[in-house]
Amino acid sequence: MKKTFITALVLALVGATFLVHGVGATEEEHGGTIVFTRPVKAVVFDHQSHMDMGYECDTCHDGLFEYATGSAEESGEFNHKSFAEGNYCGACHDGSTAFTAVLDKATGKCTLCHIGVKGLDRASGKETKKPHGD
Amino acid sequence: MKIEDLERFEKMESEGLETLPSEERRRFLQMGLAVTGVFAGGTVLSLMSARPVNGALEGISLKDYPYKPHYCMVLRQDRCIDCELCKEACVKTNHVPEYGYRTTILERELTVGPASRQREFMPVLCNQCNRPPCVRVCPTVATYKDKTTGIVMMDPKKCIGCKTCMAACPYNARYFNEEIRAIDKCDFCFASRLSKGMTTTACAEACPADVRIFGDLSDPTSRVYQLVHDPERVVWVLRPETGAAPNVFYTKG
Ligand code: HEC
Ligand code: HEC
Ligand code: HEC
Repeated sequence: MKKTFITALVLALVGATFLVHGVGATEEEHGGTIVFTRPVKAVVFDHQSHMDMGYECDTCHDGLFEYATGSAEESGEFNHKSFAEGNYCGACHDGSTAFTAVLDKATGKCTLCHIGVKGLDRASGKETKKPHGD
Repeated sequence: MKIEDLERFEKMESEGLETLPSEERRRFLQMGLAVTGVFAGGTVLSLMSARPVNGALEGISLKDYPYKPHYCMVLRQDRCIDCELCKEACVKTNHVPEYGYRTTILERELTVGPASRQREFMPVLCNQCNRPPCVRVCPTVATYKDKTTGIVMMDPKKCIGCKTCMAACPYNARYFNEEIRAIDKCDFCFASRLSKGMTTTACAEACPADVRIFGDLSDPTSRVYQLVHDPERVVWVLRPETGAAPNVFYTKG
């Protein structure tokens, strides 16, 4: 009886670890959808859609990104110049692994990542101000 | 911008502007200004490159640019990310109240393929039209076309706040400013910057994505001239059917 319980506990723990650092991670565990606002408002990154592509946590969280929202923005290097050198999103968004984030080649694709002030307002439940004349 | 205006933009794009009646096209070509002549191409045949357009314009004599400097703005629309730094700079530079705007960003979703939609942002501002409908309807000459620069100016002292110009503007680019009790609008930062020797608008300077390019269309060395006269480039204006002959041009890339 006791043995079964321990086995179950161990299994549960392994399961939990697997959940936190594996394909089955839920939104809370993998950070969900992140909206960056610096240096510009606003860019969206969706964990789930990237997990669905079959990446491991380590693909991004072993060098490219910290397990803490805001680290990249605070680095002062979270920009397209740095992406073009293969850092951050630029590690994959280089035009071959994924659509490019190199500015002079990304024509027309900007809004796949950039949701703007309007997207940010929607994401934060704030209604976009109506322009005058309505 | 009013919703109906937006819908009109979408309709314009999906129908293709070559469906404009030839009467309309002729009127556009006859306006006699070099700008409209050159851009009739980019605007009337907005979905084609400028090359066949220039061909189509052969035989039409183009007069000199009517203004010197002939200020205009080219917007590389697909690079706009709606960060709205332009709006912030405009508000600060020109003391625009919270309820109004001199420039803003519109948003729309385009269907780009089966089950595929793409967001698109579109900066808008006063188009500094060569034939400004607002100027035509103003009963007190409070709004007028500057003879040197072609900028559509406001003289708030003469404005009686009748808002006729607001209704006439095809671009919804005017608002009533409660503080000065007069209509206010974009003047390409003439009062706040150009008249003080600065060479570009606050919004163009603030744009981190190089969307807003401001300059003198009559100067062949300017970026605006080169963008607009590039034969491979598609250039268009908003609502060409009004015949207002705007000086704000849109392009991609
Ligand atoms: C495609 C890249 C990528 C993958 C794969 C990825 N992440 Fe992230 N993750 C990010 C980015 C980007 C951030 C934001 C980092 C920043 O702001 O500096 C982030 C942030 C986080 C955060 C912090 C969230 C917060 O609220 O502070 C956690 C936790 C996290 N990720 C967990 C995971 C886990 C667990 C996995 C695997 C299941 C995973 N991530 C896979 C890119 C990725
Ligand atoms: C480990 C590689 C990798 C990294 C790092 C990465 N991406 Fe992606 N991302 C992809 C791939 C692959 C796709 C699929 C796109 C394609 O088909 O070209 C994609 C798609 C996307 C999409 C479109 C799908 C969706 O989620 O809506 C967005 C937006 C996106 N990435 C944003 C980002 C941003 C922002 C960052 C940096 C914070 C980032 N990505 C970092 C690999 C990556
Ligand atoms: C793969 C996703 C992605 C694509 C595609 C993308 N960006 Fe970005 N961009 C980002 C991220 C991430 C940041 C940094 C976070 C922030 O500023 O919110 C950023 C920041 C910026 C900045 C401010 C920092 C800098 O580098 O100057 C500008 C300007 C910008 N992007 C313009 C563009 C334009 C213009 C395009 C299209 C030609 C584009 N971006 C396409 C993800 C992307």
